[in-house]
Amino acid sequence: MNKSAVEKIVENGVRFLSELFPQKTYLYFPLLSAFIVWAVRRNREWKEKILSWKVWLHPGFVEAKPDEFILDFFKRSQALNKAYQDEIKKAKIKSLRMAFGRLYPILGLEDPFLSALFAQELESGDYRKIVKDFEERVSRAKKDIESMKREKRLLEGLNTLADEVLSLHLDLISQANLRKILADLVKKHIKK
Amino acid sequence: MTDKYLLSIRKKSFFLIFLFSFLFLSACVSHLKEAKYYYAQGQKFSRSYQTEKAVSSFKRALREAELEAEKHASAQAYMLKGMVELELELWEEAEESFVEAFSYGFEKAEAWAEEVSLLGLALSFQELGLEDSAFKIYAYLVNKSKLKGILQLVSQRYTDMLLERALHKKAKEGEKSLAQALKSAQKLANNDLSYGFYHYLLSQIYSHLSEHKNSFEEAVMAKELGLPTEKIFRDNDLQIIFCYQKLKENMSSEEWEKFHSSCLRWVKKWNWQDPETPGWKKR
Repeated sequence: MNKSAVEKIVENGVRFLSELFPQKTYLYFPLLSAFIVWAVRRNREWKEKILSWKVWLHPGFVEAKPDEFILDFFKRSQALNKAYQDEIKKAKIKSLRMAFGRLYPILGLEDPFLSALFAQELESGDYRKIVKDFEERVSRAKKDIESMKREKRLLEGLNTLADEVLSLHLDLISQANLRKILADLVKKHIKK
Repeated sequence: MTDKYLLSIRKKSFFLIFLFSFLFLSACVSHLKEAKYYYAQGQKFSRSYQTEKAVSSFKRALREAELEAEKHASAQAYMLKGMVELELELWEEAEESFVEAFSYGFEKAEAWAEEVSLLGLALSFQELGLEDSAFKIYAYLVNKSKLKGILQLVSQRYTDMLLERALHKKAKEGEKSLAQALKSAQKLANNDLSYGFYHYLLSQIYSHLSEHKNSFEEAVMAKELGLPTEKIFRDNDLQIIFCYQKLKENMSSEEWEKFHSSCLRWVKKWNWQDPETPGWKKR
C-alpha cells in the first residue's frame, strides 16, 4: 500500500471538510473512514451510505437475537469477555442484551461509520462508554449529517477522493488496520 | 411549374408530418421503455448489493415514468411509477400513483394503494411507540400483500416483533409467537423460494428455536440466493458462524466429520479464510 498516497487523500479530505464544516471536526474521521472503507469494499456505494442515513442505521436486519447468540457474542471476544465478565458470569441477559444492541453493529457487523465514531473507545477497550454514549453521539451525528447532506460540495469533494481511493488497492489490508492508519492521518491533519 | 412546386411542398409536408409523428411516437414509447429498462437495471444492481447504482437507476426510472405519466397518462405509466416509488421508499407518492393507476382502469392498483397507505401508517405507529397497532397492520399485510417491496419490509418487522415477543413472554406464549413467526416465514419462502431474504428470516427463527442445523442450512441458502443489503448479508454470515460453532459443540464426532467436510466446501466457494472468518472480516 502506498501510504503517502493515502496521506494525500486524507489531507485533501480534511482540507475540504474543514472548509465546508469547520465546526464539525469530530465527524471528519468517521466520515472519511466510512467513506474510504465503503469506497474500497463496494466500489462507490459510499455515496448511498453517506446519503441514506435511514437505510444505514436501520438496515432491516433481524435485531431480536436469542440469548445464546448474545452470550456467545460476549464470550467469544476476549476483550468483551473481560469487560463484561460479571454480567456473563451471572448471566445478566437483560443488561447484556442492551449492550449488545449498541456493540453488535460496531464489533459484529463492523459498520465503518459507527466504528470510526467510537474509534477512541474501541482503541482503549472502553466498551461501556460506547454503550453509555451511543444514543447521544449517534443522534448528534445524525443531525449534523442531515445538515451536511444539504451541502452539494460535500459529494463533489468525496467524488474526487473516491477516484483517488479506488486507484490504491486498499482492499488488501484489513478494515481495522485501515481505520488505524486513517485515524492517525486524520488526527495529524486536523492538528495542522 | 406551380403544380410541381405544390407537389414538392406537399411531399415535404408529408415528410415533415411523418418525421414529427415518428419522433413524437418514439419519444412516447421511449419514456415508458426507458422507465422499464431503468427499473429492471435498478433491480439487477440491487440484487448485487450495488445500492448506489440501484438507487440511481430507480431515480432515472422514476423521471422517465413521470414524463410518461405527464404526457400519456395511463394505468401502465402510473403503475410503473408506483413500483419505482416503492423501491425508493416513497410511500405517499406510491400510494398516489396506484390510486391514479386504478382511475385509469388497472383494478388491482386500488388494493395496492391501500396496502402502501397501511404500511405508512404502521411505520408511523412504530416510530411513535404504538407497537401493538403497528403489529396488527404488519400481520395483516404479511398475509395479504403481493407486492415484494412491501413484503420484504413488512415481513422483517413482523418477524422481529414476534421474536421480540417470544423473548419477553412466558414459555408457552413465547412458543406460540415463535410458531407464528415460523409459519409465516415458511409461507413466504414457499411462495417465493428463490428470494434469499425469506430464508434469512427462517434462519433467524430456527436460531431462536435452537435448531442450529436448520438455521445453518437456511442461512447458506440465503447467502447463495442473495440478500438485499450488506448489513443483512453480514448478519447472515455471523449466523452461519454461530451455527457452525454450536454444531461443533453439540454434534457427535461422526456427525461433525460429515458436516465439517461439507461446510469446508462452502467456505472454499465463498473464499473465506476459515469457517469462522468471512472475507469481510479480515484478521
